[in-house]
Amino acid sequence: MSQTFIEILRRALDEELARDKAVHLLGEDVAAGGAFGVTRGLAQKHGETRVRNTPISEAAITGMATGAALCGLRPVLEIMFIDFATLSLDCLVNQSAKYRYMSGGQLSVPMVVRTQAGAAGGAAAQHSQSLEAWFIHVPGLIVVAPSSPLEAYGLLKSAIRMEDPVLFIEHKRLYTMREDIPATLELPPIGRARVARAGDDLTLIAYSAMVPTALEAAEELARSGISVEVLDLRTLLPLDMATIAASVSKTHRALIAHEAVLNGGVGAEIAARIGSELFDELDAPVTRVGCPFVPIPFAPELEHALLPGRDHIVRAAREMLGTQG
Amino acid sequence: MTDPGSLSLSSTLDLLGMLCRIRQFELQVQRLAAAGEVPGFPHLSTGQEAVAVGVCAHLEAADTLFTGHRGHGHVLAKGSDIEATFAEIIGRDSGLCRGRGGSMHLVDAGRGVLGATGVVAGNLPLAAGAAWAAQAQGSSSISVVFFGDGATGAGVFHETLNLASLWKLPLLFVCENNGVAEFTTREEHSNVSKVSAFAAPYAMPTKTIDGNDVLGVHEAARNAIAAIRRGEGPYLLECMTYRMAGHFVGDAQQYRSKEEIAAMREKDPIERLKRHLLAGGMAQAELDALVERARQQVLEAVERARAGARPAAATVGEYVYKSASLDGIPG
Amino acid sequence: MENARLVRWLKQVGDTVTQGEPILELETEKSLVEIEATETGWLVEQLLAVDAEVHIGDQAAWLETDKAEDAASSPRAAPSKTSASTPATPQTPPAGSGASAGLMADVPPKAARGDKSAAVAHASEASAASASAATTAAVAPATATRIMSSPVARRLAAQANLDLHTVRGTGPRGRIQLSDVRRAIEGKTPPTTPQPLSSMRRAVARAMTLSVSTIPQFIVAQAVDWTAVQAKRTELNAQLTPGAPKVTVNDFLLQAIARALLTYPALNATFRGDPSSPDAAIVPAQGAHIGLVVAVENGLLVPIIHDVQQLGLAHLARRRTDSVDRALKGRLKQAELEGGTFSLSNLGARGPDSFTAIVSPGQSAILAVGRQRDTVVAVNGGIHVRPMSELSLTVDHRVADGRLAAEFLRYLVEILEGNEWRA
Repeated sequence: MSQTFIEILRRALDEELARDKAVHLLGEDVAAGGAFGVTRGLAQKHGETRVRNTPISEAAITGMATGAALCGLRPVLEIMFIDFATLSLDCLVNQSAKYRYMSGGQLSVPMVVRTQAGAAGGAAAQHSQSLEAWFIHVPGLIVVAPSSPLEAYGLLKSAIRMEDPVLFIEHKRLYTMREDIPATLELPPIGRARVARAGDDLTLIAYSAMVPTALEAAEELARSGISVEVLDLRTLLPLDMATIAASVSKTHRALIAHEAVLNGGVGAEIAARIGSELFDELDAPVTRVGCPFVPIPFAPELEHALLPGRDHIVRAAREMLGTQG
Repeated sequence: MTDPGSLSLSSTLDLLGMLCRIRQFELQVQRLAAAGEVPGFPHLSTGQEAVAVGVCAHLEAADTLFTGHRGHGHVLAKGSDIEATFAEIIGRDSGLCRGRGGSMHLVDAGRGVLGATGVVAGNLPLAAGAAWAAQAQGSSSISVVFFGDGATGAGVFHETLNLASLWKLPLLFVCENNGVAEFTTREEHSNVSKVSAFAAPYAMPTKTIDGNDVLGVHEAARNAIAAIRRGEGPYLLECMTYRMAGHFVGDAQQYRSKEEIAAMREKDPIERLKRHLLAGGMAQAELDALVERARQQVLEAVERARAGARPAAATVGEYVYKSASLDGIPG
Repeated sequence: MENARLVRWLKQVGDTVTQGEPILELETEKSLVEIEATETGWLVEQLLAVDAEVHIGDQAAWLETDKAEDAASSPRAAPSKTSASTPATPQTPPAGSGASAGLMADVPPKAARGDKSAAVAHASEASAASASAATTAAVAPATATRIMSSPVARRLAAQANLDLHTVRGTGPRGRIQLSDVRRAIEGKTPPTTPQPLSSMRRAVARAMTLSVSTIPQFIVAQAVDWTAVQAKRTELNAQLTPGAPKVTVNDFLLQAIARALLTYPALNATFRGDPSSPDAAIVPAQGAHIGLVVAVENGLLVPIIHDVQQLGLAHLARRRTDSVDRALKGRLKQAELEGGTFSLSNLGARGPDSFTAIVSPGQSAILAVGRQRDTVVAVNGGIHVRPMSELSLTVDHRVADGRLAAEFLRYLVEILEGNEWRA
């Protein structure tokens, strides 16, 4: 049975609400279905005490989710746009991430913050960002970015079962993506990347909506005889360096692609690690494809000119392969 | 002074004992800080003990307490072990948080002290969350959050009042209004001189009381907490008090006049309770003995704390994550 | 003759160069002269520009060879390779890092016959310069450039005890990559175990075995004097549009063979079937479709030029150049490998004095052209020195007998020594 990304998220939440009484959903409009319809019907089904609307108070609701998590609930908080996570940052960074550590292990914060990121045509600078890099900088957080409905289903369930605060970053452009979900599914572990496509000539590391793009690029490169291995990171924090190392040790070339701005992005962290831990495996400099250092503009031509896509990846890969390409 | 007949002598003496222990505790923190044994910036609640003691007398172990950077008194009043609390403040492995939190981040989960936080007003929504959890779990526990008048400048203060009221959370907001936020007076922070004025817009019951009258605090807290336990929703209790020490240890208090300081000593809650007890017929010697016992208790605990083991550097990476597969990993 | 003009580079930077292979053309007052490489290796830098006036003694290019043994211990100055960004090439040749300061310089045979062409003969000077440079470069480390190589390439080279100075980098900016080191290692190590056949070796083995086992072949041979061809070639090439491929001896050979085939149609045919079977036949070809044997990496290919009889020499030069180019790049179409009756195999100036080729399966004859040598001949009772080659014609005895073959060959030589050419 094929479902869209949104439908699959709803299904995952529905199943988790049924499975564990501690799971509670909260956020702006969640009882009414949420801005993107993910939670539609869940309040009616599980009760208004389990799925609660909140006012527009990101700071307070993030704090409440954290406080409730300290006391035995498993809140799943929806922050409508990652751009608004700025309002949640004090709590996420100074409280949620650090409670376990500061208390010397007495307490933990089993909460999930669901949010979505990315540019999707005309939402402009304050509703289109990819800010995951901020969060990988905070010890104590977990950051997950699923790349497809199947991945989102499993990863959300895994996230809800974690004992630590998870930032679960969906992508607007993936919301309408369809996929078949098998009847039974093993939950992918948090912190383990997936080889989305095997290859020998180059390791292409991506996450979220860039994974389908990376797979398209790999397909195009295959027609020129270039065999690309695509890694879907799934979890950005903690980073699965073991899978990256195994792949780069085989291909000797690493290319990282993400929609977020290049400067200080997740790709920079990965590139630094590859450079220091896998130096002797490299046959070419580690390369990144990402957005230039510009806010996302409104007009479609401008937005399109900025966003990295399949062609950018293909071009970068060819350059890395040089005369071999 | 409130009607002395409303509280038994032994309960009153309990209150005095706790007041004295907190006072002594803060004096020891101040002493050791001056000697360089306390890392960082401890914030003392000297003179404000009555609020902690009066409110916490009504709390069960299961009730949750949140406080701020000036929270030693609240933590002790909730029942935390003196030695473990002091050990945490001086960074020992035997401290409440194994030396990882310190003065501003005291947590004693077993006694419902869910945390002090160093971000002003950061604790308010956390307490609301704890209250929400109690409500969702159908328990009769309540949550109490202590904060200073400075926190009312933060947006999240208002967000939390709104939500607590909206969801009828079992939450007691206790504001210690000492007229000073960090280094500036309340008049310079706000045109709203009484914090209780913020309750009405959020349809919340409130009261402003003399925070240095422990019996008065005790009475007002009893009423407020009873109402909350009845399911009537959150309550904002404003306690007017005075901060005897500076903002933090080392603060020379240039901003107070000598007259101010003398008047403040008049209002000292311990002196006031002592006067009350003496007026009620208690012998000076007995009072002094009680005070001395409290002092000794603290001194001994402090010495044991100082003898406690320091944390091993090799353990620095522990407790970042609870998930076993993630703890100790470099990101 | 003291100076000349550099007309054309026949080899570009990065190309492999075989000793004796022409790598540039000079134009003197009297003729065009091809300058040949004195070493085998690859062209690292062109020191003269097209149209430059060159003088005897000018250095024309750097070659890099594999000769590194004598320089094992001296500090190395890596030769600057392909990068446009590396500034001034050291004026002294790079030290014995394996780069011999090779110049292509050789006196072409014509010069010895009095043809006044500028010869840039520096082979001996070059090696002397290289020896002295081994010391000078050692004290001039400032002019040394780093070897650019990837970490994994370095690791493999270290494991294989391979000196990176001896490896040519094909990566960006001349960086030595893993594949370059691998190639160098393979190149240095003779196989000690049985090697499975590449598809090229298999194809050649099959074809030659089939030919020798099914075609009864005999050889007739005759010498040819190239004097007339050389004169005509010079004349023609001077008239060509700039940039057009130059006419070579092979083009003359192709046109001559085409004419001869049409004159002796019995040889322009192929044998089909088993001689004992009633279906056996001799199938005439329509037009002269001639194959040219091209040496490619690890083997050979024989692209066919169809209907050579219709092509003038200039046109032939273009077709031949294109075919050879595509054969070298592995881009021949299947149709180009079929339909020929006759092949031409010319091993060039460094080939043997004479040799015998094997008829390609499906064809009837093949002409092997020995190297051009100045030969003393008797003409009209006088002693002359002429540029000569041995031509060996191998023929399928089922299609033609010795007499036909001999007549064909004599006629071919007449054409080659004559003056009737279609430009």
